[in-house]
Amino acid sequence: MKITILYGTETGNAEMLAEDIQAEFEAAHDVNCQNLSETSPDDLAPDRFYLLVCSTYGDGDLPASAQPFGAALTKAQPDLSQVHFAIFGLGDSEYDETFNHGPQKLATLMTACGAIQLGPRIAHDASGADLAEDLAMPWASAVIALAQTALGIPA
Amino acid sequence: MTGKICIIGAGPSGCFLAQALLKSAPGLEVDVIDALPVPFGLVRYGVAADHQGTKAIARQFARIFERQGARFLGNICVGRDITLTQLQAAYDVVVLAAGLSGDRRLGISGDTLSGVYGAGSLTRALNEHPDAPPLPVLGPRPLIIGNGNVALDILRLLAKTQAELEGSDLGPGPSQWLAQNRIDHLTIVGRAAPERAKFDTVMLKELAKLSDVTIQMNDIAPSATDADGEKLLQSLTGLDGKSDGPRQLIFRFGLTPLALTGDTHVRAAHFSNAAQQQVDIPCSSVITAIGFEAQNDWLPRDALIQSAADLSSGRLGPRLYAAGWFRRGPRGTIPEHRTDAQILARTILADLDPDAGRAGRRALGQIKQVTDFDGWLRIDAAETQSPPTGRCRSKISSRLRMVQIAQQEGTRQ
Ligand SMILES: Cc1cc2nc3c(=O)[nH]c(=O)nc-3n(C[C@H](O)[C@H](O)[C@H](O)COP(=O)(O)OP(=O)(O)OC[C@H]3O[C@@H](n4cnc5c(N)ncnc54)[C@H](O)[C@@H]3O)c2cc1C
Ligand SMILES: Cc1cc2nc3c(=O)[nH]c(=O)nc-3n(C[C@H](O)[C@H](O)[C@H](O)COP(=O)(O)O)c2cc1C
Repeated sequence: MKITILYGTETGNAEMLAEDIQAEFEAAHDVNCQNLSETSPDDLAPDRFYLLVCSTYGDGDLPASAQPFGAALTKAQPDLSQVHFAIFGLGDSEYDETFNHGPQKLATLMTACGAIQLGPRIAHDASGADLAEDLAMPWASAVIALAQTALGIPA
Repeated sequence: MTGKICIIGAGPSGCFLAQALLKSAPGLEVDVIDALPVPFGLVRYGVAADHQGTKAIARQFARIFERQGARFLGNICVGRDITLTQLQAAYDVVVLAAGLSGDRRLGISGDTLSGVYGAGSLTRALNEHPDAPPLPVLGPRPLIIGNGNVALDILRLLAKTQAELEGSDLGPGPSQWLAQNRIDHLTIVGRAAPERAKFDTVMLKELAKLSDVTIQMNDIAPSATDADGEKLLQSLTGLDGKSDGPRQLIFRFGLTPLALTGDTHVRAAHFSNAAQQQVDIPCSSVITAIGFEAQNDWLPRDALIQSAADLSSGRLGPRLYAAGWFRRGPRGTIPEHRTDAQILARTILADLDPDAGRAGRRALGQIKQVTDFDGWLRIDAAETQSPPTGRCRSKISSRLRMVQIAQQEGTRQ
């Protein structure tokens, strides 16, 4: 399957995780990895599956590298009804009132444009004991399986 | 691309630079030297013990040494164990990312009285830095001068109960010190008007959660300001009157320090307010949190900066660069160093003219007791193996002990 991992980051944790996911799945799939800062909503294609990896900054906001993409979704309201995505969030429960609000906002923006979200949004906690990759790999396997069905690709 | 690059300082700016360089040019030899036996600079020794999520950036930095091929060479103090000139001869490029660790002084009469402490020294002691002075006796009425996030870190830690420190890596010494401090009034004073304080509103929110305090905001008047100022004023006034416990947190604004007085120990601080009236605040100790400057130690930072070829690009001179707080002064958070490092990496790679004849890290061969990244992993394992109840780590604070553990072969888990 064709998979694009899109990351939104401020200090690089989401980028590192995105690269780890790419390394884990590139033997079995056609995977590329790209910063949301270099992505336009118009680039999103129906025959690819998008794995979004995004952190949270400021007061529950999108991280710097995801802000232009978020703004483009809000402004242009592109039709994404053929686009399938799943999202993994990074945050820190020290910010309890806005914990993982960045990825939550991004998912809401995507679905508001009609994009189809597969699987649950997982929230990594920088203050927690889990390593992001330990949560992300099982999540990615599960959503890739869902996407194969949704995109009608034989496993 | 090949080339030998030496980064002095393994804090956020040095680490982000090594990361950015190796990402663009994986063939480089990048050595990151630090005076401490352990990496990560202020992530380990500045960022507050109860902000473990912020310290978690260390997991990302570890990858630079574990997978990208950068080398960590700890326990080498440049200027003492090897000179900058020697490093410049050995490497194609040398980058100074050594931070700024000296506390800026108030520069008013009385600022050398006993009972006056710098925020940098205090936070190093709270973080169990091997060279930190012992934690001081603050008495019942400490006064914090400064309105930035470091001042807020200190205020919050001093106000927290033992239960509120659960999950931190605050050591047994500092924990006991906090528990034994009998603070009843904790005053924090800023020179600027409240809407221009340098507090992060997200950090102010944390104060709203403290269980043991009553908060009093003074010197706040409605004023014309921009959106950020408005947001800050709202956060501050939102805290005013919070009343959950006996410890008084008192905020004062717009006060310019005039003098500290006391016989030998500070007893009062004197200020001038916007109306040029004198304001006197009695206190049992003063903590200054008004910024950092170069410590007069091993690197001639100020001279290097003054003679810089082009400071904004990070170029100090031929093959010599500066990054992080060392370059920009004591302003800027961890995320900003990442952006800066990406720009500086491009500059360095564009200028790079490698000479295969340079010795690189072989020039460091004579230095004794050098620690490496595997050594840090051994220290990290020792610290996190069996932390005390309610703590995620128990830091080793003795330099000697750190070096011993780092050099124990074959015990890495
Ligand atoms: C108390 C405190 C709390 C902070 N909290 C936060 C926070 O919560 N969030 C945030 O984003 N930012 C925070 N900051 C700011 C952040 O720590 C700095 O922006 C950042 O650490 C600066 O990075 P640096 O690499 O330039 O310097 P540093 O982190 O200071 O690293 C410099 C390194 O150079 C080494 N060094 C110095 N001299 C020599 C020498 N002669 N030879 C070899 N090595 C040497 C030092 O040992 C040190 O490891 C805080 C700062 C302080 C002081
Ligand atoms: C200034 C700052 C603000 C943050 N705000 C939030 C927040 O509101 N909610 C949250 O869940 N995490 C917040 N975080 C935590 C980050 O999302 C978390 O550290 C994440 O791992 C960063 O990933 P990145 O390096 O890819 O940006 C904040 C971190 C910082 C330094």
